Amino acid sequence: MDKILRINMGDKNGPKASEGPLGDYAGLGGRGMTSAIISKEVPPLCHPLGKDNKLVIAPGLLSGSHAAQSGRASVGCKSPLTGGIKEANVGGQGAQVLARLGYAAIVLEGKPGDDTLYKVVIKKDGVEITPENSFKMLGNYDLVDKLKEEYGDKVACISIGPAGEMKMAAASIAFTNMEQRPTRHAGRGGVGAVMGAKGVKVIILDDTGMPTRSPKDPEKFKAANKAFVQGLKKHPITGEGLPAFGTNILTNVINEAGALPTHNFKTGRFDGAGNISGETQSEIMKARGGMVAHGCHKGCVIRCSGIYNDKDGNYITKRPEYETVWAHGGNCGIDDMDAIAELDRMDDDYGLDTIEMGATIGVAMEAGLAKFGDAQAAINLLKDVGKGTPLGRILGSGAAVTGKVFGVERVPVVKGQALPAYDPRSVQGMGVTYATSTMGADHTAGYAVTANILNVGGSVDPLKPEGQVELSRNLQIATAAIDATGMCLFIAFAILDQPETFNALVDMIGAFTGQDLTADDVTELGKNILSFERDFNSRAGFSAKDDRLPDFFKAEALPPHNVIFEVKDEDLDQVYNW
Amino acid sequence: MKTEFQNNLTTKINLTVKPDRMSLFSSLLGQGFTLKIRTGISIRDLLCRQIDVSDDYLDQRIQTIFLDGKVVDNVDTAVVRQGSSLALSAAMPGLAGAVLRRGGTYAAMRSQISHKNNTVDDSAENGTVTLKLFNLVALELGPLFLKQGIWISGKNMGNFFRRVPDFFWDGCLTAEIDGNSQDVRKISLMEWRQEQVFLKLKTKKELHQQKLDIS
Repeated sequence: MDKILRINMGDKNGPKASEGPLGDYAGLGGRGMTSAIISKEVPPLCHPLGKDNKLVIAPGLLSGSHAAQSGRASVGCKSPLTGGIKEANVGGQGAQVLARLGYAAIVLEGKPGDDTLYKVVIKKDGVEITPENSFKMLGNYDLVDKLKEEYGDKVACISIGPAGEMKMAAASIAFTNMEQRPTRHAGRGGVGAVMGAKGVKVIILDDTGMPTRSPKDPEKFKAANKAFVQGLKKHPITGEGLPAFGTNILTNVINEAGALPTHNFKTGRFDGAGNISGETQSEIMKARGGMVAHGCHKGCVIRCSGIYNDKDGNYITKRPEYETVWAHGGNCGIDDMDAIAELDRMDDDYGLDTIEMGATIGVAMEAGLAKFGDAQAAINLLKDVGKGTPLGRILGSGAAVTGKVFGVERVPVVKGQALPAYDPRSVQGMGVTYATSTMGADHTAGYAVTANILNVGGSVDPLKPEGQVELSRNLQIATAAIDATGMCLFIAFAILDQPETFNALVDMIGAFTGQDLTADDVTELGKNILSFERDFNSRAGFSAKDDRLPDFFKAEALPPHNVIFEVKDEDLDQVYNW
Repeated sequence: MKTEFQNNLTTKINLTVKPDRMSLFSSLLGQGFTLKIRTGISIRDLLCRQIDVSDDYLDQRIQTIFLDGKVVDNVDTAVVRQGSSLALSAAMPGLAGAVLRRGGTYAAMRSQISHKNNTVDDSAENGTVTLKLFNLVALELGPLFLKQGIWISGKNMGNFFRRVPDFFWDGCLTAEIDGNSQDVRKISLMEWRQEQVFLKLKTKKELHQQKLDIS
């Protein structure tokens, strides 16, 4: 992983690929790589769909090795949804294969002079870019089926659906999973629209003949990886809860906490939560011959995904995740698991962010375009998006635009991006992260990683009001560092609770890179990434006024606890003071 | 278990199921069932002294607890009152999971919905409590309650039987309603308007044992 592949889609002689050394970007991976390139090379005031924006796809530092859980990729650009910097994190096979091909990043640059659609094939022997207009407006599923005929079932595909081609601000980029299904998505921030603007429909990665990446100290690496896997398997969350129920294990619990945004953030409890809980979902999947525990990439030992079949046992989609079940479920008043699975499949096929689309349909329901709880109406609205009807174009632009068009006041967005599945009035500390993240409202920006073990930012007195700001800051720093490694964030709990598992992770990174990491190194990496991102956003015109939740969170008390968001603006402004 | 289930005015349903069908009831247990039990005592006393949950299980396995919807940090000082709702869960993923975990590092992030500790007083009395079991806790403690019998809302039970997958009925071997045998398939078609019904499960293995004992 010692080179960067750049593809200039706007070259006067047609798309042109070139390879170069890492240069200033040596030692960076994942979010560290994408945010460094975007911050340094993209003019912050450029149009996100213009020639000056760049789309960067980067595997993590450990991707392509035998390290467990190291298959995450980062996709970065200036976001068409937020107007700021974006890193969308994704699983699937892409990161592993790209890393084995030796690339620390693919950078799509420039813009074609016409609307020709291209296919990019990357192999051991080189890069081939060819026009492929027959792929126009194909859904991700049909596209991958076609590619399988030509390239077999071992390649990894990174593609956009019709939403990306139509440059919708809610468009995602699909990464195929182990069964070569386009189910893993770099969902947030409209990264699919940027790929569409570059005229690239699909990138096919073929690592035939390429070895697994080797660690600097193989014996130490092997031992550390073994201890790391043992730690993941013995922890109740990574070894039992997630494999049994997936991330949707959260529905019942968040609902009980009164923090499940329901009916477009009107209340914190959904009466139908039990019908769409992880417990119910798993029983449906088992009964229909689906798969309850399944990894999204090779080397995953947590296996939080699965296969969701219809009543006749035919595949519909992967296990819909908690965020999806909330967005299309409780947020829209829908308690029909099959309808939610169908909406998830449609999102994956059209290439749309499930969080953004669920939040958008919730806003549309608030506007009176459909009734809360009407699953068929939600499906019809999503079909409009896939077809690109005038209404669909509005909805595909996300919740903020939809709210403006239809005059809705309760629009749950920060920096133009829809809030995920936890109401910040109930979990105020998460509201701090939603408000201040460089990414717009994002539940993974300040993940519960090892901030405490690393002592990032010093120790926090949780009894002080400002403790929530400090916790959010520390979590954002630590999360940015983990995002650079390519590790799945779900490792968080095993390393949070089990010091020996945390030590195994540090040893594994050290043995792989040949450099002994200290907690200070990790903290510095996280701060650097956030500084790149913050600086980009500042130059793009963002200021403190953008680090705020919508007014209604401060004005409307959320049942059942009747709480409002109480963190003061001046406290929010302290998050980046380190 | 020192709970009192006797109530002659309520419909009683006895089912015999294959052991692997027991897990299907997890979703029903998550919607809540009523315990008639001593109240005005701490969560620990209720679970470990009134019900046969071990202290180790409470301390190690049950990591997320809600009392009347509020997140509990201390099971020794949070008091379960008459009419309370108590929900039990294993540790949860995500930042939200860490935040909601009892006594966790990130508890400050949800202080607005934390249960304010109170103290046990002398008002302990017989009463009713709604218990909700989620995820791994439902799988592990569910059989304990289902075999003793649980009081649940007729509406919830009706919805459960209507939604349960077809293969459940193949593993549902016998059914009795108020002591009278019923065709198991007819249960899914019945209307359950009762505010509370009493549901009790036996597994197939126990049925065999019972027959052997009789012979």
